[in-house]
Amino acid sequence: MLKNYFKIAWRNLLKNKGYTVINISGLAVGVCCFLLITLYVKSEFSYDRFHSKRDRIYRVWQHENYGPKEDFVNTITPVSMVKVLKNSVPEISEGTRVYRFNSLVKRNNNEFNEAVRAVDPSFFQIFDFELLEGNPSAPLVGANSIVLSASAAKKYFGLENPIGQTLELKFDEKLKFLEVTGIMADPPQESSIQFDLLVSLENEADFFGERARRSWFNVVVESYLMLMPDQSVGQLEAKFPEVIKQYLGDNFEEDTFFLHLQPLTEIHLDTSLPAGLEPISNPMYSYVLASIGFLILLLACINFITLAVGRSFSRAVEVGVRKALGAFRKQLIYQFWGEALFITFLSVVFGIFLAYLFLGTFNDLTGKLLRLDFDAGFWAVTFGLIIFIALIAGVYPSVILSKFNPIEVLVRNKIKGSSMGLLGKGLVVAQFVASLVMIVSTLIIGMQIDFLVGKDLGYQKDAIVVVPTNMSGDEADTFAALYVAELQKQPQVIDACASIFSFVENAWFGVGFTDSKDVYREFVFNSVDARFLKTHNIQLVAGRDFQQGNISDAENGVLVNQTFVKRFALENPIGTKIDKFGVTILGVVKDFNFQSLNHRIEPLLLGINPAPIFSNAENVESQYISQPRVSVRLEATRMTSNIAKLKDTWEKLNPSQVFEYTFLDESLASQYKNEQRSRTIVKIASLLSVFIACMGLFGLATLTVARRKAEIGIRKVMGASIWDIVTMVSNDFLKLVLVATLVAFPIAWWAMHQWLQDFAYHIGISWWIFALAGIMALCIALITVSYQAIKAAIANPVKSLRTE
Amino acid sequence: MILQLKNIFKWVQQGGQRVFLLKDINLEVAEGEFISIMGPSGSGKSTLLNVIGMLDDFNEGEYNFLNESVHTLKEKHRANLYKQYIGFVFQAYHLIDELTVYENLEMPLLYKKHSGSERKAMVADMLDRFNIVGKKDLFPAQLSGGQQQLVGVARALIAKPKLILADEPTGNLNSKQGQEIMALFKELNKEGVTIIQVTHSEKNAEYGKRIIHLLDGRQLKHAG
Ligand SMILES: Nc1ncnc2c1ncn2[C@@H]1O[C@H](COP(=O)(O)OP(=O)(O)OP(=O)(O)O)[C@@H](O)[C@H]1O
Ligand SMILES: [Mg+2]
Repeated sequence: MLKNYFKIAWRNLLKNKGYTVINISGLAVGVCCFLLITLYVKSEFSYDRFHSKRDRIYRVWQHENYGPKEDFVNTITPVSMVKVLKNSVPEISEGTRVYRFNSLVKRNNNEFNEAVRAVDPSFFQIFDFELLEGNPSAPLVGANSIVLSASAAKKYFGLENPIGQTLELKFDEKLKFLEVTGIMADPPQESSIQFDLLVSLENEADFFGERARRSWFNVVVESYLMLMPDQSVGQLEAKFPEVIKQYLGDNFEEDTFFLHLQPLTEIHLDTSLPAGLEPISNPMYSYVLASIGFLILLLACINFITLAVGRSFSRAVEVGVRKALGAFRKQLIYQFWGEALFITFLSVVFGIFLAYLFLGTFNDLTGKLLRLDFDAGFWAVTFGLIIFIALIAGVYPSVILSKFNPIEVLVRNKIKGSSMGLLGKGLVVAQFVASLVMIVSTLIIGMQIDFLVGKDLGYQKDAIVVVPTNMSGDEADTFAALYVAELQKQPQVIDACASIFSFVENAWFGVGFTDSKDVYREFVFNSVDARFLKTHNIQLVAGRDFQQGNISDAENGVLVNQTFVKRFALENPIGTKIDKFGVTILGVVKDFNFQSLNHRIEPLLLGINPAPIFSNAENVESQYISQPRVSVRLEATRMTSNIAKLKDTWEKLNPSQVFEYTFLDESLASQYKNEQRSRTIVKIASLLSVFIACMGLFGLATLTVARRKAEIGIRKVMGASIWDIVTMVSNDFLKLVLVATLVAFPIAWWAMHQWLQDFAYHIGISWWIFALAGIMALCIALITVSYQAIKAAIANPVKSLRTE
Repeated sequence: MILQLKNIFKWVQQGGQRVFLLKDINLEVAEGEFISIMGPSGSGKSTLLNVIGMLDDFNEGEYNFLNESVHTLKEKHRANLYKQYIGFVFQAYHLIDELTVYENLEMPLLYKKHSGSERKAMVADMLDRFNIVGKKDLFPAQLSGGQQQLVGVARALIAKPKLILADEPTGNLNSKQGQEIMALFKELNKEGVTIIQVTHSEKNAEYGKRIIHLLDGRQLKHAG
């Protein structure tokens, strides 16, 4: 019996090649998407799980509350916190700090600007990063040793053995020679702690100034704690205030400073806390992707159902005969379900192959380094997938098929049930709803990105190149000024200026202070030079720009933007002295977007000398390293040779250091990397779902036409033209697409409306997007269906009317 | 004369061999004739009828229909010709299951540019004439075979063709139902409609004024 089933299943697949291809390829595409997205989601949710003591490891975060507008949450903590906590709380077994700093790293003639991590020795006891070479219990031997990742070792030493060799680090105007004492495997992608070079924090003074080392109001390092086994985090957190009180002494204020513990494995996806040293991700991305993957799989299953039900009439005689010969309905259900299982199996195999093929593309898309491992987990997912698809796609058709009444079929020659029952219609509509929502989203996301990239920001971004000095201190300022002066002399340079932050940095200094009425207020600050406005073509609306060489301007003159004037209610801003900082407003600039367009324009203050601001502010935040950056506006023609001249000049003044540069417009466009990524993902998803829906539609059209062959023949003999037939067949389908548009548009509108709310500046959703998407869907459906319709219409009616 | 077939041959290629379906058919049909085609199963009766109805091609010979030479006409022109002058009645009725009697009758008119009120009048006429007004809202499945064929004939007539081609119109009917259809044909013929029918029944064949016998695609000369 089984052999008979299999034979029939196989012959049916071969006989209906088109149907088989549609089913298998649709399902395979669905399986491929599902597998790839599973890999992504699995990676996102497996961060930091490779540490054997992960359940006992926590990161400290602090919450400071000094009033309604003075609420700070930070996952970066003071330097001394780990030591204080460990010494006073016995439940803490180990603790380590992770500090990130930028340094020039040099070996022979190889010099790179690197982000180095400095850690405590217990780092290696707490975490399970794999050590390839060196002493397992203490890979860092003293303050003058360095541990490299495998890729850093390769970068600096190639094939040589790095152990015992020396690297030269240059940071904070200090020069250090460090001996390589260990090599570690590159940290896994799924790690919230990343490193290439690890040095010891043993000698704190090398890294932190006197104040930073003592103050608890200066946040610099990530603090990780490992608790004794079986500790309650709640009880522990309750002990912290006492410890803080003891440590802060007179500086302690009741109910202002709280410490909390965040489980290590929750760091990556917890967006309620700010990111620490490494970026975190929003689990929303995983959810949206997972929904998309699931949806595409479902669309493919729908094809399977509609096609199987649609062609059930062609198997009616077989069912009738089997029943007449004594088959029970259950046996028939098993038979048809077995066939579904067989197709599913083939599709999954093909889908795995596709996933393997497109893994690289998917990695580019998501910025991940995923691998398709054929491990137990993979086979479990695959097995589950086969069962799931065979259940979803196989059960309903087998029930329908097994229902045929043999007398009706064989004697009365009547086969009930049309190829497009209500369910079939509903499923086609559902497919087109999904496709339409994605088409509309693709269009709107694309338009929003074009809008963001193309919007007038209030300053000129074209033909501007930003050169970071990668130096600090007075040396850096002198060099930057010298470099700007040199560049100004060259004909291809239209203008150049130096500033701490350029427009490449998406966040400048956030400055907080308490005003004369004891209210906490904030503004954004950047330290610039007298050419800043001219170089960027920023408009003045009142007063004057800084004067080159004017000593009082350089000491305490500032420029503010219009928002600053409004927010601080300045009536006659020009000449106003801001008492708190001892600076005088020289001019007001027109508002410009110094941050990405996700943000509204905030009050901005520009000054040449940062000292009065920094020394009088209560709080200064910066997300980027402070260093002079030179922005150069170049002649737009012959960019390559212009850049070469910038490099020449740099090398003349500073031969020992590598010249780095960024094009401002490119860098600004990359601010919308996440949005670009969403756009690509939604675009691919909509292509796939349209593809799958069309295949289903095509299959259904084929079936409908086959079913209505006799009718079409009669109509032709009665005088219907080809056009009459084509419109008759297509109309039914087009009606479904129209219904789908009605359902899809509110959904798409709502989803996109939500998405656009994330942007301070966004486009409106105009009606023509929907019209365009609707027309697109109609055209695609029409083309798909009309192929079959035309084929049926030009067929010779005699053939279809011959009565056998 | 309504149509004339001269030395018509039709064949199909099967396994490298020509299999003749029609061999040297010669036939003249005058307006107002009633012809029966007879012959054993597989002798080519339906094939001949389809050729006459321009639904099927032939390979050799001449076919003139109302002074147009069908064998030289373009596909489209030919279609217009049969749409205008020929009505078909099928053995299996071939009514459209999803349409009511009324809608089945109306269907051919939809393809022939008649206004809505014209169509209404013509359908009403036919319903009246065939005594099936009471059945107009029923679906084919709700009718007996005889009633279905009645509708089939009515549908063939509704566009007022000059020639009716009927392929075993009574094949699926009992003898009483068959008699009724034949009586109807006779009456139509009296009114001037030319009829060519294929039949297996001697009795029904007698309704025709002339009988053509086919055997293996060839016309038997002695009769007719
Ligand atoms: N397209 C075709 N290809 C091959 N053979 C065909 C084709 N059309 C008809 N035939 C053959 O031609 C012969 C005549 O067929 P036709 O349908 O005209 O017979 P008939 O006289 O109408 O028979 P019946 O009384 O059973 O309806 C048959 O043997 C049939 O098998
Ligand atoms: Mg026949």
